[in-house]
Amino acid sequence: MSERALGRAFLTPAFVVMGLLALFPIVYAAYESLFDFDFFTRTDFVGLANYVDQLTSPRFWSAVFVTIAFTVVSVTLEFIVGMIFALIMNAAFKGRNVTRAVILLPWVVPTVIAGQMWRYLFEQRPGYINEWLGLGAIDWLGSGASMFWAVVIADWWKTAPFVGLLLLAGLQTIPNEVYEAARVDGATWTQRFRNVTLPLLTPSIVVALLFRSVDALRIFDLADIMTNARLETLSVLAQRSIVRAPQPDIANTLAVLTFVMIMGIGLIFIAMMGRDVVGEPEEGS
Amino acid sequence: MAATADTGPAPPQAAPQKAGGLRNDPRVQMGGQLLGLAVVFAWCIFPFLWMVLVSFQGTVALRDANIFGGPFTTGNYTRVFEEGFMWNLGNSIFVALSTTVISILVASLAAYAIARLPIAYKFTILAGTLVATVFPPVSLVPPLFVAFNALGQLNTYQAMIIPYVALTLPLSIFILTTFFATIPKEMEEAAKVDGATPFQTFVRVVVPLAAPGVFAAAILVFVYAVNEYLIAFSLASGDPNVMTVTVAIATLDRVGFEEPIGTITAASTIVSIPLIIFALAAQRWIVSGLTAGGVKG
Repeated sequence: MSERALGRAFLTPAFVVMGLLALFPIVYAAYESLFDFDFFTRTDFVGLANYVDQLTSPRFWSAVFVTIAFTVVSVTLEFIVGMIFALIMNAAFKGRNVTRAVILLPWVVPTVIAGQMWRYLFEQRPGYINEWLGLGAIDWLGSGASMFWAVVIADWWKTAPFVGLLLLAGLQTIPNEVYEAARVDGATWTQRFRNVTLPLLTPSIVVALLFRSVDALRIFDLADIMTNARLETLSVLAQRSIVRAPQPDIANTLAVLTFVMIMGIGLIFIAMMGRDVVGEPEEGS
Repeated sequence: MAATADTGPAPPQAAPQKAGGLRNDPRVQMGGQLLGLAVVFAWCIFPFLWMVLVSFQGTVALRDANIFGGPFTTGNYTRVFEEGFMWNLGNSIFVALSTTVISILVASLAAYAIARLPIAYKFTILAGTLVATVFPPVSLVPPLFVAFNALGQLNTYQAMIIPYVALTLPLSIFILTTFFATIPKEMEEAAKVDGATPFQTFVRVVVPLAAPGVFAAAILVFVYAVNEYLIAFSLASGDPNVMTVTVAIATLDRVGFEEPIGTITAASTIVSIPLIIFALAAQRWIVSGLTAGGVKG
């Protein structure tokens, strides 16, 4: 077999699996979203009526808003703490390896477990967080705003160390001589951070923000578990419309809308930052 | 002039010098670093500490927010075992291992083709792979729910394994491509000179050299599959014989225990401990997998 034929043969299984099991279902959902349903039976062709319903529904726009607000707030908080963690670990000589191992723990433990832990930490009975912080009887998971913040805090806890790990790997590629030179020139810590660390760390920062943002946009587990799906993100809304209360017309429409929105935002991110991730076209070809 | 200089060292001048000296004192530096590390440690470990202590508390102790208060008991663990939780753990491992083997096999071939073989539209394919990692899994839930329902495949192992493979392929291909690209080309050329076919070169030379990268990608896929909840909950939560640990832990309190927190923390501890040991043992590969593709040297 020639190398060219081997290349095609090697690529085929991956393309078939992704095409058949990821792309085709979406296309099929898009087709079915043009119909009305009577339970699971397709009835009348209704054109874009299902989309009009969703795009004029306050519930849909509330889910969009919650999803985007969650992404912006949690990724910002994770980035700040992740950066601090990375700087701490990078500066330390003793105990760096142990810390780098420990920092993996929140990442490796299933989000479901993190969700249950934080749910019970926030619950009113016995009220661990309320009692430890002397907050009185706050019903964290009871209403919109505090529920949102409880989920943000759980996500913050789980992913800030992960961001720190990615940024630490980037920090370790910056040669020490660059800092020495800056120090000799009399640069203060703030100046060194702003003018040396940040520019050289940009590729790692871009990657961390990219992966975290698209991940945060897809949030389901924590919202489903901590608030019993009362905090309605896009994923929660779409999942509920097929599993908890099956309405295939709504579910298919939401699947397509979610797909378009998240892939759209992802594409914009990648187009803006992608060069740092994939490299220049010349390099890859 | 000389007199003023002698009469006293000006305090404003001395102060910054002293502060600078203090900051450069190795003991102070070390203390600051250890304090920083302690904060990172506490952040990562504290919720686990809470979880383990609570999992050993009985009904009476669980009414109190004091996690160090007894009486301690192993009753929660007994109940978790009686619920057949170990079977759920077996399901998770089976589903995760199957996903890992299939995904890595298919991804390795594709990644090698992208990194090494002369194929058309190479950059487009790699960029497309990166875009595919953004795919929202929830968009698969409605069509797959309808399809699996029609085919009678809901609540089966394959209802999880099939979408997991499709969803983990893009990232696996992306990570493996960066690993394959770092293998020196000379090794392959030497094999070619010795008369090896391209396929023999792949199996005999490239695969062994790529083993650390393949292992790193495999760990990430395995951890993803053990972690996964959305699809497992949506497509395979109806049959206790197939249910994975994430679904079991998420739904334990819906079974109707009086104090579900005890059983949930016990079940979570049972799942977390092997995962934590695994993460510590495989730390090197996990970090290299997570940063591959990301941090270009």
